[in-house]
Amino acid sequence: MVGQDYKKGESEAGLDYGWRFQGKPVLLPEDRSAIVDGSSHLMQMALTEMSKEYFSVERCLQCGMCTEACPNTMLNTNSRFSPRKFIQELRLGLIDFSGEDLWFCTNCGSCVSVCPYEIPFIDVMKDLRNLVIEQGAGYLPQSLKSAISSCRRYQNPWMEDPNKRADWSKTLNILTLKKDNTDGVLLFVGCLPSYDERGKKIAKAATLLLDKAGINFDFLGEKEVCCGDGILRSGDYRTFEKLKKINTESFEKRGIKKVYTISPHCFDVMKNHYFEKNEDKFLVAPFILLLYEMLTEGRLKINKPINKIVTFHDPCFLSKHNHIVSEPREILKSLPGIELREMEHHSVKSICCGGGGGGIWLDRKKGERLTEIRLEETLSTKADILVTACPLCLSMLEDTVKNDNRFEPIEVMDICELVLEGI
Amino acid sequence: MRVLVLGGGITGLKTAFTLSEFDIETIIVEKSSEIGGKVKRYDKIFPDFRSGKNLVKNLIASARNSPNITVLENSTVTNVAKNNRSYTASLSDGKIIEVDAIILTCGFEVFDATRQPEYGYSVYPNVITSMELESFLNPEGPTKGKLLRPSDGKVAKRIAIIFCVGSRNMKIGNPYCSRICCSYSTKQAIEIKENDEEAMVTCFYMDIRTYGRGFEEMYQYAQEIGVKYIRGRVSECSVLPDGNIQVRAENTLLGKPVQGVFDLVSLSVGMMPCVDAEELAGIFGIERGKDGFFLSKDDDLFPHDTSKEGVFLAGSITGLKPIRDCFLDAMSVSGRVVSYLTDLYKNR
Repeated sequence: MVGQDYKKGESEAGLDYGWRFQGKPVLLPEDRSAIVDGSSHLMQMALTEMSKEYFSVERCLQCGMCTEACPNTMLNTNSRFSPRKFIQELRLGLIDFSGEDLWFCTNCGSCVSVCPYEIPFIDVMKDLRNLVIEQGAGYLPQSLKSAISSCRRYQNPWMEDPNKRADWSKTLNILTLKKDNTDGVLLFVGCLPSYDERGKKIAKAATLLLDKAGINFDFLGEKEVCCGDGILRSGDYRTFEKLKKINTESFEKRGIKKVYTISPHCFDVMKNHYFEKNEDKFLVAPFILLLYEMLTEGRLKINKPINKIVTFHDPCFLSKHNHIVSEPREILKSLPGIELREMEHHSVKSICCGGGGGGIWLDRKKGERLTEIRLEETLSTKADILVTACPLCLSMLEDTVKNDNRFEPIEVMDICELVLEGI
Repeated sequence: MRVLVLGGGITGLKTAFTLSEFDIETIIVEKSSEIGGKVKRYDKIFPDFRSGKNLVKNLIASARNSPNITVLENSTVTNVAKNNRSYTASLSDGKIIEVDAIILTCGFEVFDATRQPEYGYSVYPNVITSMELESFLNPEGPTKGKLLRPSDGKVAKRIAIIFCVGSRNMKIGNPYCSRICCSYSTKQAIEIKENDEEAMVTCFYMDIRTYGRGFEEMYQYAQEIGVKYIRGRVSECSVLPDGNIQVRAENTLLGKPVQGVFDLVSLSVGMMPCVDAEELAGIFGIERGKDGFFLSKDDDLFPHDTSKEGVFLAGSITGLKPIRDCFLDAMSVSGRVVSYLTDLYKNR
């Protein structure tokens, strides 16, 4: 009957979009996959495997809202990447795996947030990349290749020695850092704050804040490995599973109840992929929520006024993926002397820095970087400091500031560093 | 023989009128203060541009003059009890009436455009809905048929019409097509263009579904007189300092982003089930589909019957219909009810 069965099978598998084909795998006629490098069976296999995603792709209206929302179309290069076109090519089996198109998406989630038919474009992208990485179906950028092989060998994407992972903390004297703490609070540092010279400052600031607030916590030190977010979103599922296993085992061994991650990327991947659904072994939250708690509960006292104008860049994995937008703003507003100015695109409409979905390992040419749009918006607010809450955003934004004279007056800071300045 | 018709729109009026010709007594129960429904507000209806108001005026006159038709305005049904073969209905004003059959012709409700905040309806004064545009185009309306911007009263020259607002959107729970928006928006575009040759009308659409007889010809005529159609769904409207509205979309046929500045933006809102649908379904004990519209016993064989014997459906209550289909529905439900009543009285 009319209007009755448009979401058939919803109850069985959570969300089954296969209402048109009732879950049957779809065989593609031969000519559909003719252009995929003679490896037509790969396309077919891939599409059958991604049945959920595939069916939802089939119902795309081709309305173009995703392309309009995609930050890539805001570049002057004029829409080299169009999610709408990508879906159309995908369902005709015409995707050019040998081109760069597959690696343009930064998984920021703008397209998903506007799509009227709720097509999980990011999952589709993930599965297609998996095809390239695990089956060798097409072009894989060199820098991404080395990041992936580094993750396999050293459990971090930067070819760094796993034994030096906790070096940043050696010079610090943290009283509340306890190996066998009874509170079960863990700070998950992440790769960038562990190894990168600039990133280490964020890790130090976060631990000092915890110390000042008198919160007992633990961290995994050398035992910590990459959370696997970038690897998963680049499509390497096997390596992700390995990394996930190492981390979850260490959590269990230490009796962890709460994990606070410095990077929103670690938070998102742990929340959605570390445990099967309905299994709440422990609470995962981004560090910014703990910081918000510490400030509102009065455990941290801000003494020194910071007389600066700031603007806040929303990390995609806080804003668009997890709708955490008010807390960072509350924190900034509670600091004495700070004036918060909003950019043209902010909160859930914020523009990606380009670092997500493996984008941090790719080199984009000048004029094609998403950070440039972001920094230009920062310039027009006339803010002194661009505050963010993600090590990846910080690294991407600061790289562009250093390499472009236009953006020289902007200082990029993590919110932890800014709060620490006031203490 | 007595029949209760719930809803005094065009379907209800036409049903009552047809039944009265069979000498069947009907009682029209109308929620609002005046029968005639939504069509009495339309100056022109598609596809033949005749006056909707005159159409309804004749219907109302014949309903009021017919000895077989009783009109009860400002009242609704609050309770219904089945006794053997007839129904006892309690009305909101305390009246209790006994009838042999009930026909539900409660129609539809227009989608609330504030539920899609990206278009800025009720935030930006120059973003209006198609219902408001309809009243602007009405010579007896608030602007005497002139298209004036609500923000400053200037004549609007650049007009954008955004299709599919509140339809074909799973996120807001309306995955269905509202069927008539493409056609009425095209009708409005033609009206604007015919009233003012210098006006520039741009329609942002996803698919044009002008499916009825004469609808497609109307669409072609619109293109001939210079209405522009751009295939792409608008992702966002934003306001400029002078009150103009900036619209962004992707021209999906060219694969290029488009950006336009307009004096006035009209949202072609889709349709929703009538506001009291849930309450009515409870009172009469009949089912609704997932889209919220009422379900008939069998879409093909018994399109007017419900799971309750003696309760019938007609008009937009079972899904959106253009005006002429509502008339057809009214006449066919009358036939069904007549055959039902004949059966009922034969067996007595």
